[in-house]
Amino acid sequence: MEIYGVYGKYLPRVKEFVMNKIVEMNQTEILRKNEKLYEHLIGRVKTEDSMIEKCQRKGLSLNSKSSLTECKDAIGIRVVCNFIDDIYRVVNLLKQQDWCNVIKEKDYVSNSKQNGYRSYHLIVSVKTDFPGIEAPKNGRYFVEVQLRTIAMDSWASLEHEMKYKHNVKNAEQIGKELKRCADQLASCDVQMQTIRQVIHEND
Amino acid sequence: MRILLAEDEKELSRVLIAAMNSRGYEVIPVYNGQDAVKKASDEIFDLMIFDVMMPLMTGIEAVKKIRLAGDKTYIIMLTAMSEVDDRVTGLDSGADDYVTKPFSLKELLAKLHSLERRNENYTEDVLGFGDITLINTEQRLESYNSISLSAEETKLLNLMILNADKKLDSKALIEHTWPKNEGVDDNTLWIYISYLRQKLHSVSAHVSILGEKGGPYRLMRNSEVDNK
Repeated sequence: MEIYGVYGKYLPRVKEFVMNKIVEMNQTEILRKNEKLYEHLIGRVKTEDSMIEKCQRKGLSLNSKSSLTECKDAIGIRVVCNFIDDIYRVVNLLKQQDWCNVIKEKDYVSNSKQNGYRSYHLIVSVKTDFPGIEAPKNGRYFVEVQLRTIAMDSWASLEHEMKYKHNVKNAEQIGKELKRCADQLASCDVQMQTIRQVIHEND
Repeated sequence: MRILLAEDEKELSRVLIAAMNSRGYEVIPVYNGQDAVKKASDEIFDLMIFDVMMPLMTGIEAVKKIRLAGDKTYIIMLTAMSEVDDRVTGLDSGADDYVTKPFSLKELLAKLHSLERRNENYTEDVLGFGDITLINTEQRLESYNSISLSAEETKLLNLMILNADKKLDSKALIEHTWPKNEGVDDNTLWIYISYLRQKLHSVSAHVSILGEKGGPYRLMRNSEVDNK
């Protein structure tokens, strides 16, 4: 089953396009003698199977329209930063780019989820040279960009492991410990951020 | 311990100061209720001792005002023997204990000594101010989010909540947060104040620490900041 239809083949290319744009943003920052924007960058196209599962879960019909416009995370890019401030630097820069429009944002960094999850989520719409679902030439594609610090990223990996392992013993207790760990990591992130500011206080 | 003493009888005040100084306590004397309220709102004390009958404002009135301002400092009232009922001893208006006059210095000093030990080991498990909650037992700060605090940050914030709205100088904050001889200076305090500020910000608290490097520092609700 090909849920993305004829557009499936463009998704990896749109992903590459956006990742290159973010790499360029970083290079521009470094040329301006600013600190680098992020530590690393990864991207993925959601597999057909996961997208089918998601559409079914949301009660959407299984076609390219659902998977590309109603679901906006067929393409996902994660920007992993060194410091909390860098997350907001990237967000602000993304909002100024002419190749994309931020259409939705959720700040789980300053408003963490109940379980302790912290990240900044953006949905951007990107104008491309590829055919798109509502335009035969310059199609628009949605990309979900997730920004987080290294600490938030490690935490999310651990939480992910717990979530997808179904026979965890003491799940509730481990959930509590994970939350406590999230608070401690947030504490370290804030501390590093503060030390960085103190170092640069007199710049 | 730093003690605020409000006693209008000069002779008795002198004796009390000498006795408490001899035990190593720092005593700040005032001679009426009005000055007591003023001092209490400006500085950190570990204990306050108020006479009941004083000019300008009675000790009872002073306690009421101090409690109304949110100050939770331990207060001992000095009352005449004939006045022993809760209304006049001050317990009703928020005092924590009383000593009847005439009293033996030995008794008062013993009370102070036991309080001092209690202060060292005792903090409230949970403290609230504005929209923040400090869970001392878990070293955790909560508002719309939660975040962990170090032992020093917890002590410092605990102290600032207990003395909210007061302008607290660096010296007092350092003395109450770090053990003596640790050589903690203004610069270290500044880093810890900065940590706390960022942490308050990161839990989206509507409470701020005001003040420049070097102090004094003041914990306030954001809604009150604009009015000052």
